[in-house]
Formats: sequence, structure tokens, C-alpha cells
Amino acid sequence: MFHRLSFIPGRLLRALPVILGVTIVVFLMVHLLPGDPAIAILGDKGTPQRIAALREQLGLNQPLWLQYATFLGRLLQGNFGTSLVNNRPVAELVFQAVPVTLTLLLFALILSLLISIPLAAIAATRPNGGRDLGVRAFTLLGQGMPQFWVGIMLILLVSVELRLFPVGGYGMTDAEHLYYLFLPALTLAISMAPTIIRSLRASTIASLGSDYVATARSKGSAGSALFRQHVLRNAAIPTISVIGVNLGYLVGGSIVIERVFAIPGLGSLMLTGIFARDFPTIQAVALVVALFVIIIGILTDVLYTLLDPRVNFSKEARA
Amino acid sequence: MRRTQRNIFLGLIAATSLILTGCSGASSAAPATDSTPVAGGDLKIARSADAISMDSTSASFENYSIEVYQNIGESLFTVTDDGKSVKPWLASSYKVSTDQLTYTIALRPGVKFSNGQPVTAKDVKFSIDQDTKTADTGWGFINVAIDKVTVVDDATVAITLKYPWAPILADLSLFSNAIIPENYGGKTATEFFDAPVGTGPFMWGEWKKGQYLKLVKNPGYWQKGKPLLDSVTYSVVPEANTRKLQLQGGQIDIDNTPDWSSFASLKASAGVKVFAFPSTQIDYVAFNQQRAPFSDVHVRRAIAYAIDRQALVKAVLFGNGSPANSLIPPGTPFYDKDAPGPSFDLKKAKAELAQSTKPDGFSTSLLIRSGDANQASVAQIMQAELKEIGITMEIKQLDPTAAKKATLTSEFDMNLSAWTMDIPDPDEWTSFATDPDGGNHSAFTYYNNPAVVALNKKGQQETDPIKREAIYKDLQKITGDDAFFAYLYYSPYAFATTDKVHGYHVSPLLTFHLENVYKTK
Repeated sequence: MFHRLSFIPGRLLRALPVILGVTIVVFLMVHLLPGDPAIAILGDKGTPQRIAALREQLGLNQPLWLQYATFLGRLLQGNFGTSLVNNRPVAELVFQAVPVTLTLLLFALILSLLISIPLAAIAATRPNGGRDLGVRAFTLLGQGMPQFWVGIMLILLVSVELRLFPVGGYGMTDAEHLYYLFLPALTLAISMAPTIIRSLRASTIASLGSDYVATARSKGSAGSALFRQHVLRNAAIPTISVIGVNLGYLVGGSIVIERVFAIPGLGSLMLTGIFARDFPTIQAVALVVALFVIIIGILTDVLYTLLDPRVNFSKEARA
Repeated sequence: MRRTQRNIFLGLIAATSLILTGCSGASSAAPATDSTPVAGGDLKIARSADAISMDSTSASFENYSIEVYQNIGESLFTVTDDGKSVKPWLASSYKVSTDQLTYTIALRPGVKFSNGQPVTAKDVKFSIDQDTKTADTGWGFINVAIDKVTVVDDATVAITLKYPWAPILADLSLFSNAIIPENYGGKTATEFFDAPVGTGPFMWGEWKKGQYLKLVKNPGYWQKGKPLLDSVTYSVVPEANTRKLQLQGGQIDIDNTPDWSSFASLKASAGVKVFAFPSTQIDYVAFNQQRAPFSDVHVRRAIAYAIDRQALVKAVLFGNGSPANSLIPPGTPFYDKDAPGPSFDLKKAKAELAQSTKPDGFSTSLLIRSGDANQASVAQIMQAELKEIGITMEIKQLDPTAAKKATLTSEFDMNLSAWTMDIPDPDEWTSFATDPDGGNHSAFTYYNNPAVVALNKKGQQETDPIKREAIYKDLQKITGDDAFFAYLYYSPYAFATTDKVHGYHVSPLLTFHLENVYKTK
């Protein structure tokens, strides 16, 4: 079975030019923006002398290609450089933010599965019935409402009115982190669930009508055992790739959500980085996000391979 | 609420005078407030951005950092609550020589750094000297008039000036002149500013960048019985709406920058108090005189007359503020409330334009910052108003950093901008705005009126307050006539706290004195 996973090293190798491309594009984009960190820091009270002094101090007087070469050289040694704004190693800032965003995304994924699987099952057992219509109305609403608006509404209802969860922030202990992340994760889950429900509902309906389920039924399998072992396992396969693609989008969505909920994750780091023109931080975050999306893509295919014995991404199979 | 503030102020005056007269019972004269002061608790303050660095000598020492640092480092003098003058703080008294060139300053006895070391004249000399060295890179330009600092004895320093300089005590009150241990207490500057040590009511705690910054109580603080709080935690919450909801939900104690648009609804919320503290902020439109037709005074006046400031105060500040009539904001000494800056008068606006080089109007643009709702409203109102007199104004929106670059390089026709003071003396601002040699080309407008430049220089060197007042009165009149800016409005500082926070007062120069703040249950 593991020979079917031999596609992983090749996939990783092919990710390298993608990552290099990302660094170049991001580097050029941030340097095309007018203004630099010296100006962002000093503001309107900065005199030309003070700005020149700070620019020199930050190494911004070097030609662009040299700045990029320095960045790339450092990166190859595993060094993200130093934040131009607060003089800290960027790696420290990024590695402080990565677990925050990862926890948020994982939490959101779990919540969206908890919402989607039962709803899809309910909808699929009697297509076009009353319950199915209810679920479909929910998916329409969930897709139609903008994330930031859902976030604000949840804050108003659950935090301000009911005072069940904090309005925003991240807390200080691990337990607090989960408590603080619940609402933002729920917000992301509500926007992600509709896509999962639709895919899962469709494939469950197909699965329920298939010969193998009929066979299983005839062998006496029924109820939740039938659903778990035969229906869900087969229906899940197309949904896995839907989730994989959506997780990539979710990283983008988390930037907005992190801002609404004041969560100190990658999105917040990226936004403050952009406003302050903190080039090394922006580049590092972009790189980490690109890596994340690539890894999710590979993981999706791995899961796919493991769940469905017919799938084979390795070379021999394609040859 | 207003009575409470006045009581705090009176209490502070009482406390200060007790200290000044050498009475040790200062703590018994605690400010009278609406409840009994309680010790303990963590004050949670939410701000829109994080501090950058505590390095008071670096160029990146900006407002969010300064706000934190002033709880740790204190200066020889501090700004009074009304922001109009200074009073001795780590100094106990001072004498001025008859030639106005030497200030001999006695240090307050018994003050210690939070590391237990006593404050001596050597520390004072080191602190002021290291600030002065940063004239080109940090805040040292504020010490421009200082020739040298001499240690007279352990508890006395003499500050010698290059020329008589009226703003000197105000300059010494600046955060960058805070007293720190000599030679950074044996550390390197970088090590020292990673965890700065001073005489202030709070000590450095812990900093998780982008998340929170925590200060803890200095148990050996020289004002006995203070601070009342155990700690202060600054958190970063960029979204104004989230800060508002956090405050309403009781998750934070203070929202540092509520929007004016939500000010009224916060005021009406149960358990929330709002404050509009007098500030030194002036919002204005700068005209770039390097670009035609703004070199023409009649064009500038026409625009200045065409703006309905009362409408701006109503629409942008929701009534919290007042129309601006002078270059010098009201929270600053020598502000002339009768200064004849142009005010809304459509007839005069049309008459001025008729005798200008562009009698039939022209097209121009106004630079504003994206994401700033206030600036967007001002721009839209101005656009409609200028249309009335035949001027077509395009609104040019740039992100804040790009707008700063355009400002610094004078790449604008008109620029919507604002200023706040750092010291209680008009000189910092009048020099920046009107002196073409100051390095900023008169606030990037290229305004150059020799009469104003001369008045400004005279104001710096005149130490008699009555004569200074007359000088600045003239300066305010001429700059108003020249209409090198169109002054828009003066806005107060908005703050919102829960009703459990007491003793909170912000001076017009954004000094906080959190040692007086306490939280009830």
C-alpha cells in the first residue's frame, strides 16, 4: 500500500519552484508599494534627516536585487531575517503566530465536520423532504453571509448579550486559547460547512443508491453501522478533496476573522506587516502560507490514497 | 464626571504643593473621587496597535511605545493636568541665573530606580546627554538649546544653555529626557531597553509582541501608597468595533481609541464611561505652495473661507470638538481664542477667488488616508463645498504609509493632516509649521514668510511669558491671514472605560499618570 505514496517526494520537489516564485512575486509586490518602513515608523513628524538615518540603519539604501539576494541567502540558511519594525527575529514572530492560526483552522475544521456530517446525513436520507429543504436553506444562508458579518453577529449575540464567550483576543493559557478561539472557529466553520454539506449530501445520495449498499443491506447491515462502514466511507472520498481546497481558502478567510476577533495569528501579523512595510515579516508569512497550502494539497492526496484503494498518484501507475 | 476630574486635579495640586513644601504626608492627600480608592487589580487597556520599541533614543520611539514607557521612565519635570505648564517631578526645585543661561536643578530626595539604586546627579547627566546625542536620529532635537549638563553635587545638576530658551523646562519634561541609570546600569543600550529601568510607578513585566505587553507595580515607588494597581496590560485589538464590544462585554477596562461614530452609543451603554479629554490636536488642510495655484494667497484664502467648520464638527466628530481659528491648538500655552483665522463665509470665499489668478475656478486634489473614516467624511464635505465656488476637487486616497511618503516629499496639492504636541510649549509646532529651515519645509508646504520666521525665533528666546504671549498673538494673526493652512477643527481625545475604573485622566499632551488609577469590583 505504501508504494502508492511514493508520489510524495516528487511532489515536494516540484513545490520548490512554486515557493521560489512566491518569494519573488511577494518581494516585488511589497517593494512596489509606495513608502517604506522608515516612513511608516516616523510618520508625518519625521524630518528628512531622521528618515535618512533610519533608512541607513535598516539597510534600505541597498539596491533591490541585493536586498532580495540577502533575503534569499538568509532563507537558505533557515534564517527569516529581522523585523524592520521591532528589531526581533522574524522567525520568532512567525513561530509565535503559526500555532495560533493552525489551532484556529483545525478547530474550525472539526466544528465544520461536526456540523456537516449529521446535517448531510439528515438531508440525504430523504432527498427533497422537509428536513432536506431545511438543510439546503442553511447551506444557502451560510454561503451567502459574509464571514466578518457572521463574526460580528456572533459576538453581539453570544459575547455581549449572553456573555458566554470572550469578544476577542487569545487568552494566556492553553485552555483559555481554546475558549477564546471558539467563536472565531465557529464563524469560519459556518462559512465552510455549506460546501462540505453539499458535496457530502450528493455523494451520500449516490452511495445510498449504489449496488454495494444494496448488497450490504441484503447481508443484514442496517442503521448507523451501515452508514458508517459503507455509506460514509465511500461518500467521504470526493468530500476530502473539497475540504482540502477549502482549507486553502480558509487561510485567506482567517486573515479577516483574525482581525475581527483580535487574534494574534499569521493574518494579523501579515496585516500589521503590510501597513508598516515590514518587508521581512510579509515575505516570511507569505512563504509559510504558501508552504501550508502546498502541504494541505499533498495531505489531501495522501488521505485520498489511503481511503480509496483505486487511487494511485505514483509514477508506475501513470506510466 | 466632570466634577470628578476637577477634584482629581485639585487633589493633585494639593498633593504636589505638599510635596513641594517638604511635607511627607503627600499620600494622605489622595485625590478625592466618587469612591474610596482600592488597591490591586490588573488594568486591561486595548489599543489599535502594539508598541514598537522601548528604546527612547531610537527613531522608532513612537506614540504606542511612548505611552507604555512613560509609566516606567519619569523626567525631571512633568506636564500639569491642564497641559499648559510643567511642574517639578524628579526635580524638587530649580533656580535660573540672571542671564537666563543656567538652570540649577535640585533633585527630589529619596527617589530610587526600580532596581533599588538611588537617583543621583550622574544619572541625570547621563540620561539627558544620551538623549541630546540623538538629535538627528531620535528625539534629541528637543534638546537643541542645551550646551551642557554639569554635576554640581550628588543631588544637584546645572543645565547650561547656548542662548536664552523659553521652552527648556517643557523640553526637559519630554519622555526622551526620562531619567535612567548611568551607563544603562552596566548593560548595553539594547539590553537595557529590552527591559528598561526607571523611577516610574510601574516596572517592565513581559511582552508578547502583537499580543500583550504587561507592566507590574513598582513597590518602591517614591509617591507613597501608589500605584494602586498591581499591573497594567496593554492588548492589541486593531478593529475599533471589537474594542467597543470588548468594553461592553467587560473583557477590557479601557478602550484607548473609540471611534467618534460609536462614542454616543458607548456613552449610552450601561457600565461604560466615556471621556473627551482636551487635546492639542489640530486637523488642517495643508496647501503645497510649490504647486500652482497655491502660491497665490487669494486661492488659499478662498478655500479656507469656503469650508463650513461647524458642519465638519457635527458630521465628523459628532459634535465633540470645536472649529479651529488658530495654528496653535487650545491645549497649548499662548493659544489666542480670538485669533482671526478664516471661518466659513461663502461671500468672502467667492470674492477672494475672483481676485486670484484663477477667478473661474480650477481642478485640484486632496490627499487622504484610506481606512480613516474621519478623513473620508471631511473630504466628501469639502468636495461639495469647494464645488460651490467653482473648484473641482478630486479625493486622492492612499494607504497610510504611502500617504506619509507623499506628505514627506510634498507630493500633494492639498493634504488633510493633523498635529498633536509633545511638549507644553507652542515652539515645537510653530517651528515645524512655519520655519522653512526646520528641515520640513514648513510642514511640507514650502510656506515662507520672513515676518513669521522672525517672530518664531523671537518667541523661542523671550523668557517673559507676557511678552511671549504678545509675540505668539501676532504670529497667530499673520499665519491666519496667510492661510498657509486651512485650519479645520480641534478634537478632544476620546477614551472609554468601564465604570469600575477611577482616577483616569489624560492630559492634553497624552500623559497618563496611571499611578492615580484604581479599579473597584
